[in-house]
Amino acid sequence: MSERSPASLFRLGPQPGEVLDRSQSFHFLWDGGSYPAFAGDTIAAALAASGVRVLSRSFKYHRPRGILTASFHDPGCMVQADGEPNVRAAHRRVKPAMDVAPQNVWPSLRFDVRSANRALGRFLTPGFYYKTFIKPQRLWPAYQKVLKRFAAGGRISAGSAHGYFDKRYAHPDVLVAGGGPAGMAAAVAAAEAGASVMLVEEEHDLGGHLRWGGSGELGVLAALRAAVTGQSGIEVLTDSAVTGRYDDNWVAVVQRGLSDVEERLIKARAGVVVVAPGLIERPYVFAGNDTPGVMLSTAVRRLVNLYAVRPGSRAVVLTANDEGDAAAADLERVGVEVAAVVDARRGGDVVRVRGGRSVERVELGDGTSVDCDLLVTAVGWTAPTALLNMAGDRPVYRPQAARFLPGADLAPNVLAAGGLAGDGSLDQLIEHARAVGQRAATGEGVIPDLEVRDHPALFGGRTHGIVDLSEDISSKDIVAAAREGYDSVELLKRFTTVTMGAAQGKLETVNAVAILAEATGRSIDETGTTMWRPPYVPITLGALAGRMFEPIRHSPMQPWHEAYGAVPLVAGEWIRPDHYGDPVAEVRNVRDNVGIIDVTPLGKLDLRGPDVPQLLNLLYVNKWSKLEIGAVRYGVMCAEDGVVLDDGVTGHLGPDHYLMSTTSSGAATVWEWAENWLQTAHRDWRVHVTPVTAAFASINVAGPNSRQLLSRVTTGVDLSPEAFPYMNVRTGSIAGVDGCVMWRIGFTGELSFEIHVPAGYGLHVWEALIDHGADLGVAPFGVEAQRIMRLEKGHAIVGQDTDGLTRGYSAAIDSLIKLDKDDFAGLPELSWQRQRGEYPMLVGLQPVDGSVVPAEASQIVEGNHIVGRITSSRWSPTLGRSICLGFVAPHLIDAGTVVTVQLPDRSRIEATVTPQLAHFDPAGVRLRG
Amino acid sequence: MAEPVPRSPAARSPITPAAPVVVRDGWEVSDRRSSAALTLADCTPVRKFVVRGNGVLGVPFGRAERHGDTLVAGSGPGEWTVFGGEAAPSPEGEFISVVDVTHGRALIRLTGVLAARLLAKVCPIDFSERVTPHGAAFRSSVAALATDVVRDDRDGSPSYLLHCERSAGQYLYDSLLDAGAELGIEPTGGDGR
Repeated sequence: MSERSPASLFRLGPQPGEVLDRSQSFHFLWDGGSYPAFAGDTIAAALAASGVRVLSRSFKYHRPRGILTASFHDPGCMVQADGEPNVRAAHRRVKPAMDVAPQNVWPSLRFDVRSANRALGRFLTPGFYYKTFIKPQRLWPAYQKVLKRFAAGGRISAGSAHGYFDKRYAHPDVLVAGGGPAGMAAAVAAAEAGASVMLVEEEHDLGGHLRWGGSGELGVLAALRAAVTGQSGIEVLTDSAVTGRYDDNWVAVVQRGLSDVEERLIKARAGVVVVAPGLIERPYVFAGNDTPGVMLSTAVRRLVNLYAVRPGSRAVVLTANDEGDAAAADLERVGVEVAAVVDARRGGDVVRVRGGRSVERVELGDGTSVDCDLLVTAVGWTAPTALLNMAGDRPVYRPQAARFLPGADLAPNVLAAGGLAGDGSLDQLIEHARAVGQRAATGEGVIPDLEVRDHPALFGGRTHGIVDLSEDISSKDIVAAAREGYDSVELLKRFTTVTMGAAQGKLETVNAVAILAEATGRSIDETGTTMWRPPYVPITLGALAGRMFEPIRHSPMQPWHEAYGAVPLVAGEWIRPDHYGDPVAEVRNVRDNVGIIDVTPLGKLDLRGPDVPQLLNLLYVNKWSKLEIGAVRYGVMCAEDGVVLDDGVTGHLGPDHYLMSTTSSGAATVWEWAENWLQTAHRDWRVHVTPVTAAFASINVAGPNSRQLLSRVTTGVDLSPEAFPYMNVRTGSIAGVDGCVMWRIGFTGELSFEIHVPAGYGLHVWEALIDHGADLGVAPFGVEAQRIMRLEKGHAIVGQDTDGLTRGYSAAIDSLIKLDKDDFAGLPELSWQRQRGEYPMLVGLQPVDGSVVPAEASQIVEGNHIVGRITSSRWSPTLGRSICLGFVAPHLIDAGTVVTVQLPDRSRIEATVTPQLAHFDPAGVRLRG
Repeated sequence: MAEPVPRSPAARSPITPAAPVVVRDGWEVSDRRSSAALTLADCTPVRKFVVRGNGVLGVPFGRAERHGDTLVAGSGPGEWTVFGGEAAPSPEGEFISVVDVTHGRALIRLTGVLAARLLAKVCPIDFSERVTPHGAAFRSSVAALATDVVRDDRDGSPSYLLHCERSAGQYLYDSLLDAGAELGIEPTGGDGR
């Protein structure tokens, strides 16, 4: 591995505007070799300083590529750095010991086997995959396998560390997109007027093109930077980009370069957006225009002035504007021999570049050739109007300026400044931008007009060349596609993939449109451009994902469950114990002794007020007016379409005070349902509903020994069956905790009590039950055991044994539905259901072969017709056989009917309809004990 | 029947307290004291009541007012959340309900000059002085969780009380710690307010 000295052939002495910190020199790795760099170097600049010309191979033809723009958008500078793919080497700053490697090459950058694609060029024309790999279809998998090897881009290893990405919200009065002179001036003016300003700049530093300017520009730059720093109310984000502008100035900004965060997505709601992105220099299309050593004038000026890099030894400059002239002057200043300045304003032109891995000779339009290693082009500017487009504007092409400018449809809260808005001297552009900033902050003020200067319309030369360097699309491809009928710019884009590469059209859109226009005999304006969509610059999936905000809800007993090996069940946002190792054993223990289950997620609503009975009558299908204090009633709620919405028990705790329980998943829905009625149709009802689901830790104590266990820890309540019968509620003290509510209800079919303890004491009470019940056989049981037991008892679960079409009578709750009530939610629909009859019904089912447990959702069939489905299915430890609930068609509901169940593997079994839903203790003897 | 079980020495918050842990006013709490510029305190033991009624408490919807140790927040039309105080509020009026939600809501206090910057990472509300000054009270999504927020400055320092349904308290606390990591946030013990 060789090491180069920092003082290399192509590294210049200190430059006035350089961004290097020469006191910090180090080495990094590139393609197996060690190279010197200074702090502040980009990867590409550091390599250029060591004379490295070829940095990558192109997408399709694997042509050698080097620096073209020396900016974020440079298509020839995509590398893999420290395991991160698709790093933009002309933007990413190099770090000590950074390991940088080329992408999309095999076996090496120097000798890339896939460059043989060039020989297959005639077979790899745009859209070739629509034609070449269509038939025979059976070979598609083989084609895919081969084509995958040629996929461009870097590689991610399975062991890649997960970076930290996050999000942030912001509410600036004014968001300025672009930190060049216009952006800075607008930001300062807006902040001076009292606005809060967010100034977003893509480069590492503010300043735009001033950074690589002469002493005059550097002076203005220093003054503007000082003004920004000295003005309060401006938040500056460098190495950041506005990726999209959405409705009502909802703006997305990707912030990079943070020390602890890989990328941050900022979601900003801006009062006004000022778009000041400057102009992007446009490449020229001609034969060999992608050869390493062909650079834009701004690339050369960046390399020389920012990074102190001599970009070549002998140069030809094709210039059509002041920037090209300045580039030539910069080159001469630093000792590059400028062999020829070809002035396009006077008809000068470049026809072809010769050279493979580097420029060797340039053929000019006048027929002469010049030997050189650097060709600089300055043929014009593209206005990055994307954000304006996203704001609804339709930029207009100005032929005399050879670029697009904002149209007349700009929203009043989106303003343009700088080169995007027009031309002028630096002072004029700054004055214009200040007026824009003032208008953005105050809504007032006159914005002076900017002139629009003439510029030669230079897009493609006399020879075909690469239009889209990211996608390897040539002007020849575009002409051929137009000839094939893809003559609209949107079709052209999709067929050829032009503008769909890493540069996202910023460098190639206008050239592509111009070439298409010429090929189809239209003007550029008539041809139009493709639609600019977010993101304006690439953004990582990590930034879009941000932190994973997934609320998790735990009961107060969760630490105990974890300590005692509970297998977790994710139930919505709740984490619940599914079982503690053996759900069958848990079932048996409840049936024989006593078990306790954490049912804290059960929805609970505190209802207060004299009109609560009216609300209950409205929400439930059954009657509630006569529910006495101390009594509990089970109820089912239906929506207005008669479909079962939720179920639960409600207890009358005291005068005008009730506690309603709902299903765990229905807690929020039922609360909103109740509030909806109270706030709209029944605003006169005196009812207050307060959700208290998590205010109580809820425990179900179930089994023949449950009363005995509870009596050991309860004071203030007579638990005897006479004093505390089934379907009653009491309040008292449990394990020394006052204010506990106790229902005597049963979901498992056993004698059971559901206790609700102020949540802060939940764990204490749970532990007290465990501690005081060892001799009674107390053990925890989880959701799975509970599901088995409730199925044995025939208790339906809303949402499991009902669905979005299950109206009340289908759920076998006939006895609950009181059609003689004045009104309740769902009454009309249920009446009609009753009248119509002939509806599917929920029934109990037992497979004839009790050892077979059909999968839930198995279809019930007659021949090839579906006549029902299994909704719940388990093997019953209590009965020693499989048991089910399911829906069957009306003609199959009679007890004893044998139905056919088709299992997922398409085999079929028979099952018998049971007389009632309960498979065990249908009379309820055990739970009423 | 066995002897009644003695009362637990302490109630527990849904948020695991940072060491050292002590029992104060019947609750297990953190006794940690941090002097960091940005702190996060679990204030769940603070008494909390939801008061409903028409205009019974004078604080308007969207505002909060402190009277000594009692903070009253207008959390909805005809609804107030009362924090602190020695006893349950007993307002007068025609139809009023007072529900003790001390155990039902996790309560967290975020204090420091950088508090708004942290909240901007987890909540889309504008935390500028103009929009949410001291005394602002609102409900929003914080780290994708429905959360009530009250700006209740302490000793001139911006301070926010956040309360959510109890069972998600640890999640909210952890989310705020995560968001504040880059800002140097530190957990600290609550002071009962």
